[in-house]
Amino acid sequence: MRDIRRSRMKWGVSAAALSITLAAATAGLANEAQSSDAASLVGTQSPIKHVIILIGENRGTDHTFGVYKPKGRGQTISNIFSKGIVNEDGSPGPHFALAQQFQVKPQSTYFIGAPDKAKTAYGNRGQMPQPNTNGAPVAQAATGAPFIPAVLAAAATLDPSPDFNPLTDTILTTGFTSLASDSLDTRVPDAGILPNGPFVLQGMNLSDDDYTGDMTHRFYQAWQQSDCSVANATRANPTGCLNDLFPFVMATYDLNDSKSPAVQGNFSEGNEMGFYNAEQEEASTLKTLADRFSLSDNFHQSFQGGTGANHFMFGTGDAAFWSDGNGNAIVPPTNQIANPNPAAGTTNKYTADNAFTNCSNFEQPGVAPIVSYLEALPYRAEPNCAEGHYYMLDNTNPGFYPNGFQAPNPGAQDMIPPSSVRTIGDALNEKKISWAYFGGSYNDAVALSNDAVTAGTAATLNSSTAMAEAALADPAHELGVAYCQICNPFQYATSIMGNAAQRAAHIKDTVDLLADIKGNTLPSVSVGKPDGLLDGHPSSSKVDLFEAYVQQVLDALDANPKLKATTAVFVTWDEAGGYWDSGFIQPVDFFGDGPRIPLLVLSPYTTGGKVNHSYADHVSLLKFIERNWNLRPLTDRSRDNLPNPRMRADAPYVPANMPALDDLWDMFDFDRAVNQTFLQ
Amino acid sequence: MRIVIRVVLLASVLASVAASAAEFSADIVSRDASGAAIGTGGRLYAANGKVRIETTDAAAGFFLVDGATTTSLFVRPQQRVFMDARQSTRLTRIFLPLDPGSPCAQWQAAAQASGLPSAGGDWHCERKKNSSVNGRETLEYSVTSSANEAATQGWIAPDLGFPVKWRAADGTTFTLEHIRVERQPAELFAVPADYRKLDPQALIERIKHSDVWAAPPQ
Repeated sequence: MRDIRRSRMKWGVSAAALSITLAAATAGLANEAQSSDAASLVGTQSPIKHVIILIGENRGTDHTFGVYKPKGRGQTISNIFSKGIVNEDGSPGPHFALAQQFQVKPQSTYFIGAPDKAKTAYGNRGQMPQPNTNGAPVAQAATGAPFIPAVLAAAATLDPSPDFNPLTDTILTTGFTSLASDSLDTRVPDAGILPNGPFVLQGMNLSDDDYTGDMTHRFYQAWQQSDCSVANATRANPTGCLNDLFPFVMATYDLNDSKSPAVQGNFSEGNEMGFYNAEQEEASTLKTLADRFSLSDNFHQSFQGGTGANHFMFGTGDAAFWSDGNGNAIVPPTNQIANPNPAAGTTNKYTADNAFTNCSNFEQPGVAPIVSYLEALPYRAEPNCAEGHYYMLDNTNPGFYPNGFQAPNPGAQDMIPPSSVRTIGDALNEKKISWAYFGGSYNDAVALSNDAVTAGTAATLNSSTAMAEAALADPAHELGVAYCQICNPFQYATSIMGNAAQRAAHIKDTVDLLADIKGNTLPSVSVGKPDGLLDGHPSSSKVDLFEAYVQQVLDALDANPKLKATTAVFVTWDEAGGYWDSGFIQPVDFFGDGPRIPLLVLSPYTTGGKVNHSYADHVSLLKFIERNWNLRPLTDRSRDNLPNPRMRADAPYVPANMPALDDLWDMFDFDRAVNQTFLQ
Repeated sequence: MRIVIRVVLLASVLASVAASAAEFSADIVSRDASGAAIGTGGRLYAANGKVRIETTDAAAGFFLVDGATTTSLFVRPQQRVFMDARQSTRLTRIFLPLDPGSPCAQWQAAAQASGLPSAGGDWHCERKKNSSVNGRETLEYSVTSSANEAATQGWIAPDLGFPVKWRAADGTTFTLEHIRVERQPAELFAVPADYRKLDPQALIERIKHSDVWAAPPQ
């Protein structure tokens, strides 16, 4: 039995926030800013001279802030607590049935809006798929998280990366399940007899300091889980997405009905319905930041599905496509093309669960249900699928290795050829505005890439495999396998990754981010991505590890008040990771949007515990950058061309002018600066 | 039965070679095909079938080669950890105690122990003319592996039972210079008992559960 409050004691977060005026704070900055802050001299449309965007992995809004009460006066939030789906203690609330989940009789082809006649609600008391330990570590290990403590102490000096620091030295050793792999997660209270709906990830043996089971989060699965049909539309939910097939899709998309589920591996079971209780000490660092700054409860993952496509959309406002490496669309190898139609004799087993689709072609499996739905919406939502283009819907490694080596046979290596899609980095370069992507363990990844090139494996293997092999041969740089290639949208781009000077100037490690903050060399635009140990992803990481990553960056900023005074930190996630969410979804094209994810905006101009309801997604971050630094939309087809929403009084989460995406400008009050400590 | 006998014979050869090797220290000097000095350099110590290699390419620690097993470790004293060296440096596959009359078995065994893909099959060492390296008499061999790679050359000093020069297929050479035959402290070749061994495999398995690992298609 473990103490669920131990991580809270570690953080030592005070409930009282210190708030003083910026003028008072800046009066005592005698020893700050040893060197000049070049980015502060660049003209901007607001007092914000630096943007830092920190992106975690796989947590949704209800999953993280489902039980949260805003601290700002008069503020409201849309979550499962405010809707009465759950009570403040996380137990089922008076409107629990609003979240009930359904199963669907076999259909002849892929669907995203299940016919009413084919749907049956799961019963209560364990009939909904139950949570399991899918992939979560069973015990401590010598060289994998959670580490055996003594080894971690050694590793802290072995590699002075942000992974091993005073904030993580304990929590990287805790949280293992002590349960069998892929078994019922009995740490969840009442696991095995949970009712049909969301359940709290909190108990005597379970907190946000514990690893929990993962679930699949891919494009066609996500659309199907959302269960969108205009037949379901209401005034408050005009797009008719019911979000009621989450456990069903996980239980069936890879289920061969002729075999027992027990012998077919894991299907994530009911993990989608788990959530944390921010009002009872879970995700407490994030909650403190929400209490002191601003939170959006209508911010969305921009792409249905997973990590790679969402990060790419964030970096480009668009989707990647398979090409000849020179910008010309070509057909990918057959084994890359998706076919989500159910295999014969199965309930819903996808015929080919692959990553690329030509969505301009109605005949392609999976395309017609989505495009037909978009055409039926009460607003113009173009699929935005160029003719003959096979778009990347699911995780595919870039055609470049982290060191810039270009895979010579990307098709055979399961890597997408180099991309010509214009990025925000290209736009910033043209205006000579400084920027950098800071990826955790990037420096080690470069070393492993060099090894793989020397070994010849970089020319033949997928980069994940080649770098893992390199790590086995070069253990001194093993953390390089934790660097996230698909999270870096610029690693796909020929203009950045194919140019050694660009790579050196803009693709860096977390250690460089911390050094830039300390040394007053922070670029105008910074993107920070932790490595796979700290990114907060279920199963491989934890919420409090991502909190530790965020805290490390914020602590560095707190130590440089002058820089902090002109910096806005956006803390968000790449996607909800397959976690169920109760929020409204506005489809804007074939690719998304998807469920809500949290967005915290931390700056002197976003204090007070406010909650913003304006509709936004990852591309809204691009829109903020473009507005602040006076840039145009990236291309004529990128999503940053969409207008800002006009929100409806009678349905405050639904834009009146769909499709629309907010530029987040109104989350700031540029007339009033308050110097608010982040976490001290 | 024949395989078992061969294994036993090989093991006994390796053990006898290791046991008979001389004790000495030397500088490791590397040059490119034109003869210009290049980065990889360092110090080498040998005694009782064990080898310690300190190289500028891995300055945070040192390599230990066990001539009896042809396996090698990388030791990081500051962190009190060690790990299988595997392919971290090719020096551990070159500089190890050898049978001057038949060196291929040990070189191949070292390659196999490091996990080199080209280590299998038949290796062949063709004896060339005797020559001198820095004034020391050596036996020169042309070495080819079953992978049909370009031949490499090795020069072995019979009095040391040890290679003193190696030329790779690209012309790069590694030479032992300033050889001093003398007793070596035993602690140079030992891993302290309280050091922990690291293995990246567990980290890789954990990362496979994250989105960092992009799974190939079905």
